[in-house]
Amino acid sequence: MMGFQQLDGVRRVLIASANPLFGRGLERLIRQQWQGRRFEIRVVGTMEETLALLESWLPDLVILDYDDRSLDRKRFMDLFVSGNRAMQVMLVSLQESGSVVVYDRRVLTPSQAEDWLSLSEPSGFQSPSSGKEQSFSMKHFAIAGSIVVVLTLATNYLLNTIQILPLQASVQAQPIDRLFSLQFMLIAFFFSLIVVFMGYSLIVFRQRAKDESEEGAYIKGSTGLEVVWTIIPIGIVIYLSYLGSLALAETRRVDPQAVEVKVVAGQWFWRFEYPQYGITSDTLYLPVNRQAHLRLTSLDVIHSFWVPEFRVKQDALPGENLERELRVTPTMVGQFKVRCAELCGTSHAYMESPVVVVSQADFETWISEQLQAIGADPATRGAKWAQTNGCLSCHSVDGSPGVGPTWKGLYGLTDHELADGSRVVVDEEYLRTAIVNPNAQVVKGYPANVMPANYQALLSDQQINDIIEYIKTLR
Amino acid sequence: MKRLWSIGLVRGLVGQILGFLIGMGLLSAVRAVMGLPWKTEPAWVAGAFGGVLGFMVALGAFKDWYAWALGRETPDIEEIEEEPGWRRYLSYSLDHKVIGVQYGVLSLLLLALGGSFALIFRVELARSGMQFLSLNFFNTLIGMHGMVLIISILLGFAAMANFLVPLLIGARDMAFPRLNAFSFWIAVPASITLLSALFVGGFDTGWTAYPPLSIRAPLGMQMFFVGVFFNGWSSILGALNLITTIIRLRAPGMSLFRMPIFAWATLATSIIALTATQLIGLSFQMVMFERLFGMGFFDPAKGGNPILFQHLFWFYSHPAVYIFVLPGLGVISELLPVFVRKPLFGYRWVAMSSLGIALVGFLVWGHHMFTSGMEEYLRVPFMYSTLLVAVPTGIKFFSWVATLWQGRIRTPVPMLFVLGAIVVFLMGGLSGPPNGVVATDLHLHDTYFVVGHFHDTMFGGYIFPLFAAIYYWFPKVSGRRLNETLGRLHFWLMTPSFLVMTFGQMWVGMMGMRRRIADYDPAQGFDTAHLIITIAGFLIGLSVLIFFINLIMSLRRGEVAVGNIWQSRSPEWQLLPSPAPMHNYPQPFRVVGEPYDYGLKGSRYVEPLTQPAGDD
Repeated sequence: MMGFQQLDGVRRVLIASANPLFGRGLERLIRQQWQGRRFEIRVVGTMEETLALLESWLPDLVILDYDDRSLDRKRFMDLFVSGNRAMQVMLVSLQESGSVVVYDRRVLTPSQAEDWLSLSEPSGFQSPSSGKEQSFSMKHFAIAGSIVVVLTLATNYLLNTIQILPLQASVQAQPIDRLFSLQFMLIAFFFSLIVVFMGYSLIVFRQRAKDESEEGAYIKGSTGLEVVWTIIPIGIVIYLSYLGSLALAETRRVDPQAVEVKVVAGQWFWRFEYPQYGITSDTLYLPVNRQAHLRLTSLDVIHSFWVPEFRVKQDALPGENLERELRVTPTMVGQFKVRCAELCGTSHAYMESPVVVVSQADFETWISEQLQAIGADPATRGAKWAQTNGCLSCHSVDGSPGVGPTWKGLYGLTDHELADGSRVVVDEEYLRTAIVNPNAQVVKGYPANVMPANYQALLSDQQINDIIEYIKTLR
Repeated sequence: MKRLWSIGLVRGLVGQILGFLIGMGLLSAVRAVMGLPWKTEPAWVAGAFGGVLGFMVALGAFKDWYAWALGRETPDIEEIEEEPGWRRYLSYSLDHKVIGVQYGVLSLLLLALGGSFALIFRVELARSGMQFLSLNFFNTLIGMHGMVLIISILLGFAAMANFLVPLLIGARDMAFPRLNAFSFWIAVPASITLLSALFVGGFDTGWTAYPPLSIRAPLGMQMFFVGVFFNGWSSILGALNLITTIIRLRAPGMSLFRMPIFAWATLATSIIALTATQLIGLSFQMVMFERLFGMGFFDPAKGGNPILFQHLFWFYSHPAVYIFVLPGLGVISELLPVFVRKPLFGYRWVAMSSLGIALVGFLVWGHHMFTSGMEEYLRVPFMYSTLLVAVPTGIKFFSWVATLWQGRIRTPVPMLFVLGAIVVFLMGGLSGPPNGVVATDLHLHDTYFVVGHFHDTMFGGYIFPLFAAIYYWFPKVSGRRLNETLGRLHFWLMTPSFLVMTFGQMWVGMMGMRRRIADYDPAQGFDTAHLIITIAGFLIGLSVLIFFINLIMSLRRGEVAVGNIWQSRSPEWQLLPSPAPMHNYPQPFRVVGEPYDYGLKGSRYVEPLTQPAGDD
């Protein structure tokens, strides 16, 4: 109660209230706050006493119970304004607001006097907790609440019916789209909640009366409500973030059988390199239902790899040490486009390249076509595959020892010794098995499980044949 | 001639041209002495710096400080009686209300300009294929649209805060009137420098100016950097002044929790502006140096890292979003109780939610970088912190709706804009979480969805509240009311058009439309949507034109505003005539009640002090 500290120079305080608890309580409060000051307090309970003391005792502060309807304000006001001694009247409300109004006899304005007189009218000060008021409020609340439910369902239906996302064409898009639907639901609910309560208020609680001075209900707030609408949203956002991180993890799931593609961006083109095949293409060919591991880099400024149908997006940065990766598993055969999503200068708008998703068989056909374009000699191509797929980091071609047996002079051996002591002839069939299933025939002197066993998946049959042709030439 | 010379703006502009030539000449002379050949870019940068300095010197912004340095006395703010009339609005004035109007005029000019840039490229985008712009000019325009409007918003906030805060808290003026004038005036040459970028080759980076693209951009890039750099000074110094004013100069009895809510919003905003703006200045300065001196801060080939720039840049530029919207949200909270005739629901919660947004706003910049290739593990914590912003923002929405509940709602023009602001900002708020959640942002990042989302936040959080504030407080500036009919026309034209525009933007974005592209693939089927967006954009332009006509007409012929036209409890309406007199309140007031106790009969927020202040 700030008001009390400001009242310096007050000597005589009269507290008037029909409610004895109010009077006593206030008296104790003032005595506590004004410790060390000289003053007197009297507490009275009736109008007659009040008026009598007003004239005989000459208090300089009168404290009235705001909510006391028994007080005859008209008579009190007449006495209040007619006197010429300094006197202040303080109205204290015990309602939840606990507000204090101070009037000063010397500077009382006509409009203040009017306010003061109209206090006795119940419309001026409505108790929010009265029973009638409460049921009125509950009725409105129930109506608005039902509209919220209806509008939420309608909005959510609408968001799920009209097409607002492009085709879903990758495994990574699935968790993302699921999360989108959940978010649409939340958006539909909160949109309806706010808009309905606003709209409802605007219609039901608009000012209708000609009386310009009509005021709204005196409700200052509710800590309970504020806590509720703080805690619940905190719960929702934490849960949403949690789901978001799960979905993110799903988009990053690694498949070791993935097709490797190095994506090189530049002003203003895309280039796709398939290191396993040694192919470079300006169209991104991908086999359906097999993960593509895209390693992104840029030659100049920042670009961003985005195929809307795949959903996921990643910037391509310049700098050798700043290669970034993206994993995409197409689920739909078709033609799409990769579109640069980071402003990269003049022709940014046109930095689009075709993405073609085909079946595994068609993919291999495409690879072999590309390869034929590279060269007609299988052995030359084989040398390239051996280089680009890392074969040569373990197998030498000049007879020097390595992690694996050298390829020089390998083909045509008739007494190739295996770890189990048997001897075999190195022909095409042997070499093919050694490449796709290396642990079936481990060579003596070399441990098992060193060579990766997934070349069947990484290489096309054509490539394996090429490599065998290459090995044949190493005499 | 002499009378013309007495106008500060004229002197300043001449000073800027001279300063530019001196700066350019000085640098070239030094290079010539060293035997180096002419080089255009450094000469222009030196000229731009010289121009800004020249403007301020010729204006007289340093005169009083120079006098202090020499130990001479200058008059106190209360003792200065400025000659009334339009001239002082074009000159160096110390009156916070004049400075507020100056800020406002510059802000509205830039608003019109930045909006017009958008209309130009919206015509280009109305159909697929290139119609009439070159690719580079398109790219320059989108960057200019962004930055010019950002500066306009910063100045618009300064306009509202400068004009209103001293009136609302009962101060004679701002705490540092000379610094205040300096903060405004430096924005003038800075904005001119920024706009000059259009004429020296433009820049093709957008307002974000990411290197390495910004290192390769034309000369216009440097003018852009210098312009933004000095506008940053305006923002930082203005914020310092506002914080000091709010903390030190409140009327007796006005405890922090009895401040008008707009003062809270200003305080929260200013804390961000004071502490974060340096980072955008720094990041732009580093690119400037990289271009001028070959320092490889962001160049991987020289050991730099382009991601570093994005961290520095967004460390300001995300909180900047809250600089744009917090004042607007303050205006909403300030006006709502007046027209609902009911106390602001949960005053303390609303006040604290502004500080909460300001605080959390510092921890979320990484959400602009989810696809940038920053360290991957950072994405999840930034997602949590980003979504947390929804909590204090939600408190505001719920409190506003609870304020409306059981009120006696009146809907004059300012209230229409307040209601429009709430709806539009709601759309902005609800379209935020899909961007904030990493997984869904992988799809949405750098698409038109983001464009729709932030135009919703900017319009709901700034443009609508700004118009509400202008319709509401215009009489305190001019003594006249704005025309109500034109105001309603403005509102009813702008709001539906705007919603159509942003819904369209969000839709094409979700469907795969990238941001910042001059042309789009007709195969994606966006032509119709873009045509609608363009038409809606032009309707918004038309509505704002109506507003400007209203503003100019009402200034001369509007209805004279007498007394407390909105029945507000606020001191500037309770105690002051319209327009507000020089030095504000002839008699100080004290605060005797709560600011928003509408509906409590007989209560007062302020009353004039009968005895001199300091007595109690």
